[in-house]
Amino acid sequence: MSKIGLYLCKCGPNIAEVIDLDSIVQSISQDKTVAGVQIHNLLCSEDGKKFLAESIKKNEFERIVIAACSPKQHEATFMQVLSSAGLNPYMMQLVNIREQCAWVTPDKNAATAKALTCIRAAINRVKYHALLEKKEIECDPGVIIIGGSITGLETALRTAQHDRKVYLVEETTLGGRIKNMRVLLPLMASAREILQAKIDAVRNNKHIEILENCTIDDILGFFGNFVAHVHAQDKKEHELKAGAVVLALDAQQFTPTGLSSFGYGQIENVFTAAEFEALSSDKVVTKSGKPADSVAIIHCVGRKQLGYCSKICCANSMKIARDIVSRSSGTKVIQFYKDLCLPDKSYDRFYEETQSKGIQFIRYNEIEIEQKDGHVAVKVNSPGDEGIKITVDMIILSTGITPPSRAAEFARMFNVPIDEYGFLKQEHTILEPVSTITEGVFICGGMYGPGDITDSLAQAGAVAGKILSSLVPGKLLELEAKTSTVSETMCMGCGACVDICAYGAVKLDQNKNISVVNEVLCRGCGNCASVCPSGAAGHRHFTTRQIAQEMIQILK
Amino acid sequence: MTDTFEPTIIGFLCNWCSYAAADLAGNNKFDVPATLQTIRVMCSSRVDPVFLLSAYLHGADGILIAGCHPGDCHYQTGNYYTRRRFALLHKILETFDLDPQRFRLSWISASEGQRFSQVTKDFAEHIKKLGPNSVNKKPFTE
Amino acid sequence: MTTEKNKKILVIGAGLAGIEASLLLAKAGRQVYLVEKESYFGGAAIKSEEVTPNMECATCMLAPKQSDILENKNIKLLTLSEVIDVNGEAGDFTVRIKKRARYVSIENCIGCGACFEPCPVSTPNEFEEELSKRKAIYVACAGALPNAPVIDMENCLRSKGEDCKLCKEACMFDAISYEDKDEEMTVNVGAVIIATGYKLGDIGQFPQYGYDKKSNIYSAFEFERLRASNGPTSGTIQMRDGQKPKSIGLVHCVGRDEKKYCSQVCCMYLTKFAHYAFEQLENIKVYQFYRELTIPGKGSQKFSHEVKAKGVEMLRIKSLVISPNGSDPPVKIEYQNEKSEKKAIDLDMVILAPFIEPYPDTDRLARLLQIELDDFGFIKTAPYDSVATSRPGIFAIGCIQSPMSMSDTTIQAHIAAGQALASTEG
Repeated sequence: MSKIGLYLCKCGPNIAEVIDLDSIVQSISQDKTVAGVQIHNLLCSEDGKKFLAESIKKNEFERIVIAACSPKQHEATFMQVLSSAGLNPYMMQLVNIREQCAWVTPDKNAATAKALTCIRAAINRVKYHALLEKKEIECDPGVIIIGGSITGLETALRTAQHDRKVYLVEETTLGGRIKNMRVLLPLMASAREILQAKIDAVRNNKHIEILENCTIDDILGFFGNFVAHVHAQDKKEHELKAGAVVLALDAQQFTPTGLSSFGYGQIENVFTAAEFEALSSDKVVTKSGKPADSVAIIHCVGRKQLGYCSKICCANSMKIARDIVSRSSGTKVIQFYKDLCLPDKSYDRFYEETQSKGIQFIRYNEIEIEQKDGHVAVKVNSPGDEGIKITVDMIILSTGITPPSRAAEFARMFNVPIDEYGFLKQEHTILEPVSTITEGVFICGGMYGPGDITDSLAQAGAVAGKILSSLVPGKLLELEAKTSTVSETMCMGCGACVDICAYGAVKLDQNKNISVVNEVLCRGCGNCASVCPSGAAGHRHFTTRQIAQEMIQILK
Repeated sequence: MTDTFEPTIIGFLCNWCSYAAADLAGNNKFDVPATLQTIRVMCSSRVDPVFLLSAYLHGADGILIAGCHPGDCHYQTGNYYTRRRFALLHKILETFDLDPQRFRLSWISASEGQRFSQVTKDFAEHIKKLGPNSVNKKPFTE
Repeated sequence: MTTEKNKKILVIGAGLAGIEASLLLAKAGRQVYLVEKESYFGGAAIKSEEVTPNMECATCMLAPKQSDILENKNIKLLTLSEVIDVNGEAGDFTVRIKKRARYVSIENCIGCGACFEPCPVSTPNEFEEELSKRKAIYVACAGALPNAPVIDMENCLRSKGEDCKLCKEACMFDAISYEDKDEEMTVNVGAVIIATGYKLGDIGQFPQYGYDKKSNIYSAFEFERLRASNGPTSGTIQMRDGQKPKSIGLVHCVGRDEKKYCSQVCCMYLTKFAHYAFEQLENIKVYQFYRELTIPGKGSQKFSHEVKAKGVEMLRIKSLVISPNGSDPPVKIEYQNEKSEKKAIDLDMVILAPFIEPYPDTDRLARLLQIELDDFGFIKTAPYDSVATSRPGIFAIGCIQSPMSMSDTTIQAHIAAGQALASTEG
């Protein structure tokens, strides 16, 4: 039988004033399973910790119960003391008799009785504590990036370092959507120049292996230990090993074919912004080759259908407008908008400058595009002005940003959920924006959500930050100790735990037909232990028996 | 007949939200019923319905589970499962003519110290009114 | 010949941005000095009960991270501290830090709060936007970390010559020492990350908003504190006289015309305020006075529509003037709508969303670090290298460089961690 030591902390007057610690000592001394009980004034102090370590060693206690403050305050502190005293840090239970007893129970007798019960519960629990180790495993610090878009290029540049190999896998050739643009926000810089600079930097970087015209077939493994198989156009196969995978495919632009009021695909000279930007001619001309004397740019096309604001279209429309007048100074440009979304500190000024170039802005409530004598007409309901009709030579529809066409396919391949808009689901909107619930799989650019080049580069940098900080060459990956366990003998292979795990940490071994827990991915919630119908699944440090022991004592 | 019934209430608190709220109640010295004994779990989804039934059959007068608000679960979706299991348990209790009133599921976030105090006080009052759990207690063997 | 780069990193500011960057750096095995000016840490995020777009509990989100910071062997959190001098360059900075005296020992203090009661001083609580009072020895709010008070010596009776020892006498842990002095320390680091955050602009300077801190015209943070469970009213939204409001006006773009930039997050948090109002107050009438609804991002429109569907009256305006009424309801808004018609409405409570500004004293910090500011006073960063300041080895993240959402702040924290690691390799 293990020697159990019980320590009661007075916490100055905080506990001692309310709880009769002496009577607790009296009651516990009747418990033959407790080898010794001691009271200390302040266990978390330097003096207290020293006392605790020495006392444990001297008494050769093997399991410790400490009745003091909340584990959220000092569990880590006391675990360290146990380690320093030569004990496994998990052979301890910290009983909260301060925040959850002394401080909330005005009646002293009631507080003492409550404290006694939880101390007894902890004593019984600690008898069933197991020796737990914080495991460490080796990991590959390398990165596989899927998608040679500007986002993929940037991620490659930010992660490529000595001791870290980066693979950049692209189905066609490097560049992505930016290839089809002329100028980029926020400074109207040349898209070609910026893109080429990134491509050159990637090609010249000896840590980056570029696999153009390559497609990914499958991905195996887990964080720190991924293996991907890709094949080239010439059928040659490659096996790539890395610790992290980054999904960096380009987004697309919504094509409003179903929206009849915009005339897309029906009326001539109606383009989406992406199509317009891709037109190679330096002059601004209509389909028939005649110069366009007037252009209307319509914002928010398809916004209702998509269900979100794509953030960049208002500024992007201004960018296009300014580019048009710079190429063709006589062309009149009108922007029809609903709300001006300018979420960048330089954009109010950008807007003013755009207006100063003679570009007109008209707010609309309803809008319709019609054909009219070889021209296009815009019919608008504006606040305060019903029924404006303007004839122009060309319409540019600023439509929203949509996920990459193959987003769902990649989501399945990488075991990442899709969000309701078809982008990949972030692990947490605010705290883990570029991570997914599949540890080691990161998202940026089109897989993340709507954004422009600034956003893409930022997300790429963020992914790099996550990778550089978690996969350090030479450093082992530390794993959570309080993970799930599955008993081989008891498991029936029903797969309930596989379905329930939010992190994909449990998989069915097809050969043995039992569940296997991946301790790298397990976060230690215990949900699988609850759902298991055969009692095969357990939760280290929160086993059914440990919890039951607490309960039984309480109900005695 | 004097009202000397002091119920035994077990509360399962999830580490990230409700346990923190219980601590905050302590920091602010809000009252919490002395009849409540808490058991810490990492996530409310660790609470196997078997625990709840066992507690009930061993004579617990009230059983409380407290977790994070839906959408706030530290482990993404754990509390959704807790909710479903609790709903199922409720049905089973009704079907077998046991007392679902003695069970409660509450969402309490880490900053809701006062709410923790309120919820636990309300529940304790409610249980007091129900009276002692009259289930035939299985005696403990030890 | 190159000298080896110093591997330690200095992070200035322990709000969301500083916390995130520090944790990533510590995870990579680096030593981090996390310097925080206030006596507590967590920044602006911990002022909110819930945050958009998913209305998550802000404290629940940050508390585990804050615990991580406090327990992390690689992170040295220095509260009540400021950077006072910086020399050197990327890879080798020498930084002098001033640590103001807390007068309370964090090691000895157990956070029991026994010292508050006897203190005779009462002064407005800055964290609570002066909606409640605090003592001279105080914690910013319930649950503030580190869990130890600070003595505001300026307001303490001792600085006025009295030998008041009431707090020290109440302390059973010998944690209070009036002899504490401000200290200075020098650290060597390889990179610096600035994460000092923001403040809400001073709207008192714009008379058309009627903001006088007395009438029922509130600034955003004041409303947040009213709604906060650990705030001055334990989460009850109420007017100055304690009554529940029957109508609330939410005013967007306060200061935008004058400052000439969009503060990016206000449309969303005003929607959140509408949500707070509907949740708590039955039959509440909510009005939004806005210019351009700016709600980018995946979850934002859905949230906005859901709240609007509860009955928000959306009024697009060209201009407005707010003034306290003498009567009931106590606030008058006279506005020009989008059709340029002049209208007026009386409301119980009006909440203003002021422009977001860099944290106070940013020009001093910029001078110390020899980095450039932009025209608005934010730290200037490169267009396609969003956390790089004008000096190598010095990075700026979060609202100190531009107003931004919490998720964008985290992204920037990640970027800077990566760049700080990369720039101090070798």
